[in-house]
Amino acid sequence: MLELNNQYTVMKRRIDAEVLRALFAGNLTQTVDSIPIKIIPREREANRCCIYKERAMVRYRIMALLGVDIGHDDDECKSLRAYAQEALAVPPVTLPTLTTITPGCSGCPDDQYRITESCRGCFARPCAVNCPKDAIVFVNGRAQIVEERCIACGKCVDVCPFNSVIHIQVPCEAACPVGAISKNEQGYVEIDQDLCINCGHCALSCPFGAIAERSSLIHVAQLLQEKEEVIALIAPAIEGQFPGNLSQIIAGLKALGFFDVVEVARGAHVTALHEAQEVQQRIVEGKGFMTTSCCPAYMELVDKHVPSLADRRSSALSPMAYTAQNIIRSRPSAKLVFIGPCIAKKVEALPIPSIYAVITFAELAALFVARDVDVNQQPSTLLVNTHEFEDCRDFASTGGVAAAVLRRLEQPVAVLPINGIDKKGVRLMRAWEKRPPEADLVEVMCCEGGCLSGPGILVHPKLAKRLRQGTNVAKVGAVRGDLKKHA
Amino acid sequence: MGQHNIMVKICVGTACFVQGGADLLLYEDFLDPSLLRICTIEGTSCLHCCKTDDQQLRAPFVEINGVVHANVTPKRLIELLREAQHA
Ligand code: FES
Repeated sequence: MLELNNQYTVMKRRIDAEVLRALFAGNLTQTVDSIPIKIIPREREANRCCIYKERAMVRYRIMALLGVDIGHDDDECKSLRAYAQEALAVPPVTLPTLTTITPGCSGCPDDQYRITESCRGCFARPCAVNCPKDAIVFVNGRAQIVEERCIACGKCVDVCPFNSVIHIQVPCEAACPVGAISKNEQGYVEIDQDLCINCGHCALSCPFGAIAERSSLIHVAQLLQEKEEVIALIAPAIEGQFPGNLSQIIAGLKALGFFDVVEVARGAHVTALHEAQEVQQRIVEGKGFMTTSCCPAYMELVDKHVPSLADRRSSALSPMAYTAQNIIRSRPSAKLVFIGPCIAKKVEALPIPSIYAVITFAELAALFVARDVDVNQQPSTLLVNTHEFEDCRDFASTGGVAAAVLRRLEQPVAVLPINGIDKKGVRLMRAWEKRPPEADLVEVMCCEGGCLSGPGILVHPKLAKRLRQGTNVAKVGAVRGDLKKHA
Repeated sequence: MGQHNIMVKICVGTACFVQGGADLLLYEDFLDPSLLRICTIEGTSCLHCCKTDDQQLRAPFVEINGVVHANVTPKRLIELLREAQHA
């Protein structure tokens, strides 16, 4: 996985903010075609082959922002203006969530092991000795891999004393836990939507930015502008994503025009209660282990790849779903916008009609920038009536969901946290059918570290954790008022 | 003799924070203890440098001994502080 704030992500945020600024100024359609040129001026030293390619990539980024399914609807003759007009005329579209930008894809070489120049053809030859398939031969005093025999086990990499064997990976393919991404006949990236669980790991790992998520951001911005009754549902992971405490983030959202802001941790409390009851029930009935159900990528994983776990999942709705239900009861006409670190949430929100759109923290950042809202300048207040669900703000990190469930149980149960899912993790879960895990409650997080490491985050999880605990930033003076968890 | 007290103000205005400035707040992890000892590091609200249209002057901004620097990454911050130390 790439560093969070790399050139590409920083550029992305800039483009997002620029587009939003134009939208708020009321001249998006008139100016959108000039944005790539404004962002990549002629004088720029190009990081791709030339500034024209860079401009083309900015154009694609804007298309993704407009919700265009670039993999299918890329019309080079069509102006951004036309795309923008079309997008603004219809509600946000979601599926498929991830789309590919073929011209951006570098068509990386296939996954392979290769022996480099630094091989000394040593006497011990640990590579050849340890190779289970005799796939290593020596030519001119140097090791060579016989491709037909190589099973890509990687043993030679581990044992070479000169680090002469390298493993060349295709970053997106390596990141995908379910084999949904591969290269097509032309050698460019393609996503198999029947297999994709929308975890977003591929988009995070492609160093060319060839995988984009289709955004609903301009629709949300438009809604805010129309002063409708838009309510922000903020995921528990939001604390620590912006320079200020939770109350300041909430104030910032209101400054953006959100009519109200509701913590999804409220719904998480309901989820935890439900799961506590259910796991207890299962133990009494001798039904074996239960998994959590709040991670939407995991839900898709089970549906698409591990059907044996279908009945193992808790029947609890997700925190987002409970929170939405609760709000809609008192405000049936409100439009809800879920703001979180997750792309898979977009798929989960689809069948919930009250949820108008899902945006990420990174996208919210663009709103703040475009509207010049400084989170750390917002008033810091004491959040009230949060006592009941406060501990559920920890749903955002690995272990946090199970801990919340445990706190709602009289008798402790055995917990197994699954901290991030990769290919190996999927194999493990498949094996549970024959060899069930020794636990009553399995907490599953598709992203390592939990939602704090989701594909839509803005802040390094290490820093986010510190900000959430109130350390570091208080010292830096970023935050006025109380930053400690509101006791 | 180098400088003994370097005043560092990391901008934590939203524009800087989201353009990579957040990474600078991990300074305790990437600054050498010897550098850390001679720096007084604070956060500051928007320095109003983010409002210009100048292509070269991009967020995140950091003020070091009264001078504002643009495009500061963790790596750049280390360089700048070294320079300030030996100024
Ligand atoms: S936010 Fe840093 S200069 Fe404005």
